[in-house]
Amino acid sequence: MRTLLGKMSLSILGLIAAAPAFAQEDGYERDPAAGWDYLWHEIVIDITVIGIIFSIAAIWMVWKYRTKDENAVGTAPKLSKAAAIAWVLIPASLFMADDFFLSAKGWTLWNDYRRIPDEAKEIRVTAYQWYWEFDYGDEIITEELVVPKGQPIVLRMTSEDVLHSLYIPGFRVKEDVMPGRVTYVWFNPKEVGEYVHTCTEYCGTAHAEMATNVRVVEQEEYDAWFEQVKEEAKAASLNDNTQG
Amino acid sequence: MSTESSHAHEHHWEWSQAPFWVVTGVFFLVPLTFAAYFQYQDPLLAAIFAGLGTPMLLAGIAMWVNEGLTVKPLIADVAGVGLPIFIVSEIFIFLSFFATYWMMRLGAESWPPEGTPDFPVTLPLIMTVVLVSSSITIHVAEEKYEHDDQAGFRKWLMITMALGFIFVGMTFYEYNHLFHQDFYPDTNAFGTVFFSLTGFHASHVIGGLGIFVCVLIPAFKGMTNKTFITCASVYWHFVDVVWFFVVSQIYFW
Amino acid sequence: MTMQTFKEWFFTTDHKRIGIMYLVGSMAAFVVAGLMALLIRLEQSNLGPTITDNPNEYNSWLYFHGAAMVLAFLIPGLTGFFANYFLPLMIGAQDVAFPRINAFSIWLFYGAIILAMLSFVIPDPPDVMWTGYPPYSISTTSNTAFYVFTLHLLGFSSVLGAVNFLVTVIYMRAPGMKWNQLNIFTWTTVAAFVLQLIFIPVLASAVTMLLFDKYLGTNFFNPEAGGDVLLYQNLFWFYSHPAVYVIFLPACGILFEIFATMCKNRVFNYKACVYGGIWGIVGISGFVWVHHLYVSGMPDWLRIGQMVTTLLISVPVGLLVMSMWGTLYKGAITFNTGMLYAVSCLFLVLSGGLTGIPLALTAITIHLSETSFVHAHFHFIMAMFSAFAMFAGIYYWFPKMFGRFADGPWATTGFIFNIVGVHVTFIPLFIIGVEGMPRRYWDYQMFPQFEPYHQVATVGAFMVATGMAITILNWVRAAFKGKVAPENPWKSCSMEWTHAPNCPQAGNFPNPPSVTDDWSPYGYDDREANMAATTDPGFPAQVKPAE
Ligand code: HEA
Ligand code: HEA
Ligand code: CUA
Ligand SMILES: [Cu+2]
Repeated sequence: MRTLLGKMSLSILGLIAAAPAFAQEDGYERDPAAGWDYLWHEIVIDITVIGIIFSIAAIWMVWKYRTKDENAVGTAPKLSKAAAIAWVLIPASLFMADDFFLSAKGWTLWNDYRRIPDEAKEIRVTAYQWYWEFDYGDEIITEELVVPKGQPIVLRMTSEDVLHSLYIPGFRVKEDVMPGRVTYVWFNPKEVGEYVHTCTEYCGTAHAEMATNVRVVEQEEYDAWFEQVKEEAKAASLNDNTQG
Repeated sequence: MSTESSHAHEHHWEWSQAPFWVVTGVFFLVPLTFAAYFQYQDPLLAAIFAGLGTPMLLAGIAMWVNEGLTVKPLIADVAGVGLPIFIVSEIFIFLSFFATYWMMRLGAESWPPEGTPDFPVTLPLIMTVVLVSSSITIHVAEEKYEHDDQAGFRKWLMITMALGFIFVGMTFYEYNHLFHQDFYPDTNAFGTVFFSLTGFHASHVIGGLGIFVCVLIPAFKGMTNKTFITCASVYWHFVDVVWFFVVSQIYFW
Repeated sequence: MTMQTFKEWFFTTDHKRIGIMYLVGSMAAFVVAGLMALLIRLEQSNLGPTITDNPNEYNSWLYFHGAAMVLAFLIPGLTGFFANYFLPLMIGAQDVAFPRINAFSIWLFYGAIILAMLSFVIPDPPDVMWTGYPPYSISTTSNTAFYVFTLHLLGFSSVLGAVNFLVTVIYMRAPGMKWNQLNIFTWTTVAAFVLQLIFIPVLASAVTMLLFDKYLGTNFFNPEAGGDVLLYQNLFWFYSHPAVYVIFLPACGILFEIFATMCKNRVFNYKACVYGGIWGIVGISGFVWVHHLYVSGMPDWLRIGQMVTTLLISVPVGLLVMSMWGTLYKGAITFNTGMLYAVSCLFLVLSGGLTGIPLALTAITIHLSETSFVHAHFHFIMAMFSAFAMFAGIYYWFPKMFGRFADGPWATTGFIFNIVGVHVTFIPLFIIGVEGMPRRYWDYQMFPQFEPYHQVATVGAFMVATGMAITILNWVRAAFKGKVAPENPWKSCSMEWTHAPNCPQAGNFPNPPSVTDDWSPYGYDDREANMAATTDPGFPAQVKPAE
């Protein structure tokens, strides 16, 4: 019984070990994409270690206990009651410790993903079979997403027909876009460049072609682009008006 | 040892055509007919499929009932255990529909949604009375059967069936009434839930009636089986109990 | 073949023959769905149109591939074929409780396969993928009805199978056989059928609503009229996550039988395996479905809550795995082809199961969901682990079914092609999945850098095809011409080997067995005593080296 108690307290220690996962390092910058890469790295190590331990155990046993004698029998002892219970509690506690550790890490990152920074700029997105529309407000609607570097962006998304999903692999964000509901994602474009922006919820024939680009540009370039779009929009609406 | 091995020699490969014909019948009657009518909008083709499927289905059921009453099963009476296990599954079907209803209703801004007429409350009450009495009459029928009163058994079984038919009739009457008030399954979310839940329940009543027919016809020829009757009645009680949930949730909430 | 033998096969109600019919049907589904996979791989092997320029065609291949592999190959193969053929033999029963209902189930299954195959000849075949999400499945012009009815037929078949087998195990165990004397395979099958019984009705309801919405104009999933777009996904995954354990559990059960026999060892920590592992999985499986909806805009508390429950699945699975590993410990391990596949499964369960762990984290799945990383995860656990467990079982029980061995150089060749091929196919998908390759893409113009990976994967798929062709042809050959096997060739202690002859006849057991409390299906430490603990000595001769 003593050993059992000892083993149990050991496993509780394991559970407590999960607690530091909630603590955050200093100077942590809230950026989901960087957080994703960091946690991904950790979790790959985590599962690789587990995988290697179990693989080695399997290889070792299959090798060590192989025999040519067809009449040999295994000699594994029958477990005593205490041993049987210990063989449940200890592994279960260790697995649970890892699970809670990962949950805590995942939860922290999840909060980053969901909490929109105050300074974020809002752009509304509408999905159609099979293209995207970006609404910058003031009736300025584009078919291409252009954002200034360093400016957190929040996309509020809805669909006019079936389900779609907005996916920008470069920013590690994705969320379904649905008729009758508004969902959101936010990201922080830190590098200038072009990023693929595509659809990852099956939406029919041209599902694989429902892609566009996100262009991240310097602030000045963005302002120029925005002015130009505004002019074009004005011209178009004037046109509409004159044509009746 | 010799007696045992002679016992072993009794075994031969068992076979039955009934399941094949029931499935083939269902295959034509449901998926093919439905798709022909609704997907390909070809009523003639649908009629042909239904015309092929129905006789196969009926023949299969007749064969099955006959075998069920004549062939000795491997172990007796376990059907009385199998049916409740199957009912667990049925309960989950109804639960899914109820869960759907709850989600829609509790998520809605106002309920019932626009376009819903006022519902009569007396009719469902009468329907409840009819269905509950049918549960009592089928119980009486079982009692009669246990006391070897075949004629009484048939009589009470038929009374039960009559009550079942009245119930189904009232359902259709009510549907008709609602259609006249422009309330259809596609009117709004409540129409969808209302017709699917009550319709689904009614289809179970019709199914129960079908089982009773399968009990009754051979009974006239003196072919009956205690387990079969118990199963039919347990199923009927189950359908009855479900009705309480339908009534309380749909009409009186 | 006389008319009588024809009827005795075609209209059979015998569990073994029905089992064989399940085997044939599910392997046929595998071959056709596998051929679809080859078309998919060919199409993706190059940027731009490769073998078709019509995405709809690709979509209906993928529909058939996904639906048939999961619903017509693995589930019926594991719960239809293996449970039918071996479960009654393991518990010492002469047949199942309701043989006619059993025949009914097999015909429903064949009905579903025929309906699914009709999609190759009808106009507007279903293109809704095996998940059938609305509103697309409602607004599409293609034949969603066939999708719905295929699921109905299979579902009804499984529910009846569940009723049948639960009653069988409860009432038809050999006299004296206690619950703790059941084979692990029997337990896993019981657990799988409990899952089917409870969860299939939910799937059936979900697709019925789909049918009504599309063809009768109801508003279940129509947000404009008060319906809910996400309702379907919730109901669908409420079934379809537990469904993965309907696959996983019997697959593990088969492996336990093989390991116990080939290691001549007791199952390590039997009770922990059964009550902690198997029933623990059943217990948690109903509370994790939201992990398929991490990017579907579910409320945060659901996403976080079910992240934790999903991760906790690793505890019962871990207990099962510990028992599996423990069964090897101090064993006396001999090898045959079945064992080869089984040993490979030890590693596949790790690569398949552990890649579920990142997917379980909401925040990580934000990036990985709907990419080929998910493909790689589930192909490792289904196409490799579960399918290989099936193949292992087929080799292992081949002598029981056909009285002949299927082992031999061809079997090993097939195995090597298969194991190498699947890795060559799916490891590239892991890599490009993390880089962002989306699912269900017939073309990927925006990701030209992935082309070489797709090409490697295509090569791998053809290696598997070669391996499978060899394997299947080898089975067919061996069934008729293979080396004749002695009774109980692997010297198992389990009842299907010790008490039923090879190619069991009608009635299964020459003398219906009964057992005492000292008997165990894994009683290798004292075989003689174990045999003596059954009233019928079975084939005592085989305990000594058989020739
Ligand atoms: C047989 C089938 C099968 C099985 C068994 C599993 C098992 C698991 N799956 Fe998988 N999964 C699928 C088939 C399966 N899956 C399919 C088909 C899909 C895609 C469906 C679609 O969209 O079309 C999918 C998708 C899928 C998703 C959704 C991805 C997405 O679409 O965004 C997720 C997310 O959580 C997930 C997680 C898991 C987890 C955590 C397990 C766990 O059960 C795994 C548990 C096993 C282990 C963990 C390894 C062994 C344990 C140990 C060695 C103990 C120690 C371990 C730890 C402490 C971690 N799976
Ligand atoms: C049990 C499940 C299972 C199995 C075994 C497989 C097996 C395979 N799968 Fe499948 N797959 C799924 C389940 C499965 N898959 C599911 C659920 C999906 C998701 C669908 C969706 O998104 O909706 C999917 C999706 C999927 C995709 C994604 C496509 C896309 O998203 O655009 C791809 C692409 O590579 C693929 C490939 C393969 C390959 C190459 C195999 C190979 O392992 C197949 C090997 C087998 C063969 C090649 C047949 C061999 C036989 C012969 C050659 C016949 C010889 C004949 C005689 C001797 C008579 N699968
Ligand atoms: Cu839009 Cu896929
Ligand atoms: Cu899942």
